[in-house]
Amino acid sequence: MATQASGPGVGSQVPVTTPAATESGDLGAPLYIAWQVTNECNLACLHCIEESGPGKAFRDELTDEQVFSVLEQALDLEVPYLSFSGGEPMVHPRFFDMVEYVCGRNGQLKIETNGHYLSPENCARLKRLGVKAVQVSLDGATKETFNRMRVRGDFDRALEGVRNLRAAGVPIEINYSPTCFNAHEIGVAVDLAAELGAYSFYSGRTMYTGNAVKTWHRLALSEAQYDTFFEVLHQKTGEYRGRMRVHFHEMGLLEELRYRLHHPAALLIVLPNGLVKLINALPFVCGDLRLQTLGEIWARFQQAWQDPRVAKFVDDLAKDPGKTASLHQWVYL
Amino acid sequence: MAGFLAIIAAGDPPMKLAKYVKFREEKFGSVLFETRSEKVYTLNPTATAVVRELQAGRDERDIPGRLKERFRDDSGAIEREVVAFFAELREKGLVED
Repeated sequence: MATQASGPGVGSQVPVTTPAATESGDLGAPLYIAWQVTNECNLACLHCIEESGPGKAFRDELTDEQVFSVLEQALDLEVPYLSFSGGEPMVHPRFFDMVEYVCGRNGQLKIETNGHYLSPENCARLKRLGVKAVQVSLDGATKETFNRMRVRGDFDRALEGVRNLRAAGVPIEINYSPTCFNAHEIGVAVDLAAELGAYSFYSGRTMYTGNAVKTWHRLALSEAQYDTFFEVLHQKTGEYRGRMRVHFHEMGLLEELRYRLHHPAALLIVLPNGLVKLINALPFVCGDLRLQTLGEIWARFQQAWQDPRVAKFVDDLAKDPGKTASLHQWVYL
Repeated sequence: MAGFLAIIAAGDPPMKLAKYVKFREEKFGSVLFETRSEKVYTLNPTATAVVRELQAGRDERDIPGRLKERFRDDSGAIEREVVAFFAELREKGLVED
């Protein structure tokens, strides 16, 4: 069942890829919108790739009217999959209304949360509304490492939140960001995720951007540590095959961006103020949902990737990996 | 054709897209997006026609014949491939009965 095959033949194999790997060129709309609904967060995590934290909401975050207009546009365009992240998405005052709108229009929605607002009532509500999954960040298998990383956070509370999700019957995903002080717990963390009933476990390389720039000296892993980290994940992938999907990106940022230059993903990153980024790991903005429609932004998304400044940034990154520190100084294409 | 369709027993519940699978038509055909595994499957126009038939609630047993007519295929190839496609959809967990 090959893409773009013509004639009557159905073919025998359906090509498979992922939203992040699906090229955007031939698609009429994105397959995935990753929306950072607010920059506000109850925690002040050391490794946060955004510049989120308490009191860090952008002054120009989208109004309620704008938020629901964007959601309406996304669902009118049949974007099949959305995620709400932040900051902490559950502190957005209209969070549940947004969830209700997306799910009510049959959109598949994932919530990416730190797990601190997952009370039994909220979990039951998420279940009732029909979210596809809730991804909880559990960057540690112990209270000591988790609380060290997630400043103002509490391991037990996050754990309780995940248990509440399970009790409510909400599909669970666990996310794990490695640092020099929690990487050794990865094996136990994967086991814990399985024990908590997660169906997916995600990890990858922690990025030098956002809040992590200031704390990098306390976080950074050596390549040797990463080797061990990924070795354990490979082992766990096999161990949990068929029970829990262990998914991780070993690819370095530069490699990923070089690939993306020629194969932009069918994914839009929406910031709390409606700016749309090409990809999280680049500073480039290709549209503004306060001024343009989602359809207009998508129509020029491919072209924006071809802007010479994008390739130049990636080339410069090869010489100076520290350039990721400037990802939040947006460059308008 | 009867041989291929024999695997579809009479009285089976109707096949439909699985709960976490989204379907969207595109200029080139369509995409099926399995949002739990986050896998995307790209379909050509003929496969798209098959899924459209499923979406319309058409009985699985009627679809090969309908597409044979639509694509004016006397060779039997379409019917065989549609049945193989059904099997593939099942194997990948993209449909449920």
